[in-house]
Amino acid sequence: MWSDDVYEPDFDQSYGTGYDYESHTGDPQQDLEYERQYHSSSFIVPEVIKNFLLKFQGHILDQNLYEIQDAYENGFTQLTESFFKTSPWPEADSIAPIIAKEDPIFMILYRELHFRHIYARVPSGPSLDQRFESYYNYCNLFNYILSSEGPVPLELPNQWLWDIIDEFIYQFQSFSIYRCKLGKKSESELEILKQNPKIWNVHSVLNVLHSLVEKSNINKQLEVYTSGGDPDSVAGEFGQQSLYKMLGYFSLVGLLRLHSLLGDYYQALKVLENIDFNKQNLYSRVPACQITTFYYVGFAYMMMRRYQDAIRTFSNILLYIQRTKNMFLSNKPQIYDQISKVNDKMYTLLSICLTLHPMRIDESVHSQLREKCADKMLRMQKGDINEFEQSFSFACPKFLSPVPPNYESLGANYHKEPFNLQLRVFLDEVGQQILVPTIRSYLKLYTTLPVYKLAAFMDVNEDVLKTQLMCFKHKMKNVVWTKGTSGLDGEFQSASEVDFYIDKDMIHVADTKVARRYGDFYIRQIHKFDEVSQLGFFWASNGRFNGLRNRTNSVSNKRG
Amino acid sequence: MAEAMRASVAQLLKGIDRYNPENLATLERYVEMQVKENTYDLEASLAVLKLYQFNPSYFQTQITSLILLKALTNLPHTDFILCKCLIDTAKLEEEQLKGVIKIADMLEMCQFKDFWDYVREEEDLISGVLGFEDSIRKFICHVVSATFQTVEKSYLQEVLGGINDLQINQWISKYGWSVQANGVVFVNAQDDNIKTKNIREKITFDSVAAIMATSR
Repeated sequence: MWSDDVYEPDFDQSYGTGYDYESHTGDPQQDLEYERQYHSSSFIVPEVIKNFLLKFQGHILDQNLYEIQDAYENGFTQLTESFFKTSPWPEADSIAPIIAKEDPIFMILYRELHFRHIYARVPSGPSLDQRFESYYNYCNLFNYILSSEGPVPLELPNQWLWDIIDEFIYQFQSFSIYRCKLGKKSESELEILKQNPKIWNVHSVLNVLHSLVEKSNINKQLEVYTSGGDPDSVAGEFGQQSLYKMLGYFSLVGLLRLHSLLGDYYQALKVLENIDFNKQNLYSRVPACQITTFYYVGFAYMMMRRYQDAIRTFSNILLYIQRTKNMFLSNKPQIYDQISKVNDKMYTLLSICLTLHPMRIDESVHSQLREKCADKMLRMQKGDINEFEQSFSFACPKFLSPVPPNYESLGANYHKEPFNLQLRVFLDEVGQQILVPTIRSYLKLYTTLPVYKLAAFMDVNEDVLKTQLMCFKHKMKNVVWTKGTSGLDGEFQSASEVDFYIDKDMIHVADTKVARRYGDFYIRQIHKFDEVSQLGFFWASNGRFNGLRNRTNSVSNKRG
Repeated sequence: MAEAMRASVAQLLKGIDRYNPENLATLERYVEMQVKENTYDLEASLAVLKLYQFNPSYFQTQITSLILLKALTNLPHTDFILCKCLIDTAKLEEEQLKGVIKIADMLEMCQFKDFWDYVREEEDLISGVLGFEDSIRKFICHVVSATFQTVEKSYLQEVLGGINDLQINQWISKYGWSVQANGVVFVNAQDDNIKTKNIREKITFDSVAAIMATSR
């Protein structure tokens, strides 16, 4: 999901140079076949790639998870950097003769990587054919997994399984946006789109995710797991297999994301109702999945005006990212970029939520927030609607329309409609409470304040002021999650920094006063002191400055 | 009737079947039933809007308007926002829906007097929805009880839509409020709940011990 911005190639420009459909049969499947044959013979696969693929295939055949993971996360990435930085990996057909024996599953998995790489790295982006082909490849993969009579004999690393679900939705999203950009499409392209309404259809995508959820019995498993039982007791034949279990779990997160992209925040949270994401669970070991989950959950809460829940969700995951950042930086630089993008988005969302609902958050997240978003927050606090709009646009998911556009009437901005709707709903909400920060800033100065006086400050009459004060109260009373696994449940609370009530003609203000915190300061000093004495040691021994720096980082992480 | 349907509708909405447009007619009938019988089922409403989103040609302004009005009856919950997020911007510009959005704005901003003036003028907008006004009064009482310790009875009467003495007394007793001398209503003892909080840092022995241990 954080790949949104990185991987959004400009299809319109690149597409003109694509294929000439006039000379084709008109049947995309047949044409694809033709293209494939045409291309396959012209590419000679380098030896090192051959060897890698052979080994890769071998590991999958042997079901050696450790080696598969290594080939997937390191081998493939390294070869991509040296050979295919911006050009596609060889076509599946040209590697077919290389691999040991006929192996349809490996071919499907290879195609998945091949297409994913085109989406991610090839500047011209996927062609219409490739989008279709990739779709069919996913169909083959999911058919293989879902239509088998018994569980299929395949295990893959969790990271890869997550990437498959994540990419499946990303490609659907990318297609939905692509199909709505009618501006520069040729007649023949439009014709093909019109004739193939089923490809990347929202129902098919939902169907896949729902089927994986059902096949794995993941909801029952989670229920039993939460109540302390053994998930395997209800998992069934398929759900006991790691492949199905994990695909089921990731599909729930996939549904969360898909529903959010369609603006359906209620369903988004509802699909997760059996996951207790306020505590670590055995399903949450893929960091990218964890971060995706929290981003979308937090966003849904924000849209539902459950700011306190949104703030808690964002702070939790931001703290987690802060603590694990260095690990990603050194071990998995390829996903660090993505994480840091979504990290920035979440700080922006957090700044929005905290502007609308000021409250105390974790110190270290707060200091990062000040560093990144202090200016933005100041502008938002002053009621700058533009700033709200910009922050929202920067940090929101890429909303999409579930239905094809009307190809006959070309609305140039049709692809922006879903975004415009969510932006509008958000800005309507902000507009309704735009006076709250101003009122709060006055209230902060007093412990009691006559109604008429505040009315004069606000330059309105007393009746209007009472309206505004009631609005303040209404908007600051949020539903807050208290217990249970369902993120939808909760009770009304108001935990905002400044609260008040009206008695007769007097406003009584209750502020939150935070005494200065010394512990943090002293801990920092103790560590510094510690380092200074270590420093003497380092210089004395070999002057390893790097060693010192690493140590500083690890110390501040431990503390954060 | 509507209550009896709740379970069977819930069944319809399970799994992939909730996207089946063949269920739309049943669901729309269920919305109308809720409107007539003053019951409420958010999930069914959202399912209808979802089906409209997936099948724009089936969109019905009248049903959508009823769904939005029903969502308002569940204030202070944010059901209205959830519904709004599923309706095309172009559709939101239709006259009838614009009216509903306007009253939603007023309610969200607690401009209760303006709200009552508006719905008196545009009676048709809400006339079909059984119990609509009382649902809104409940919401207003919720806001009042959060905001005021004491409030003038006449003011209360006004924000509740100019109701008469008998009615106002019913609302007052319903919420356990009491009428004091000179027409003042005592709402809640707010000073118990709304107090200045002092947050002081607490440092436990354990956290100190850990640091002492590492930096010896």
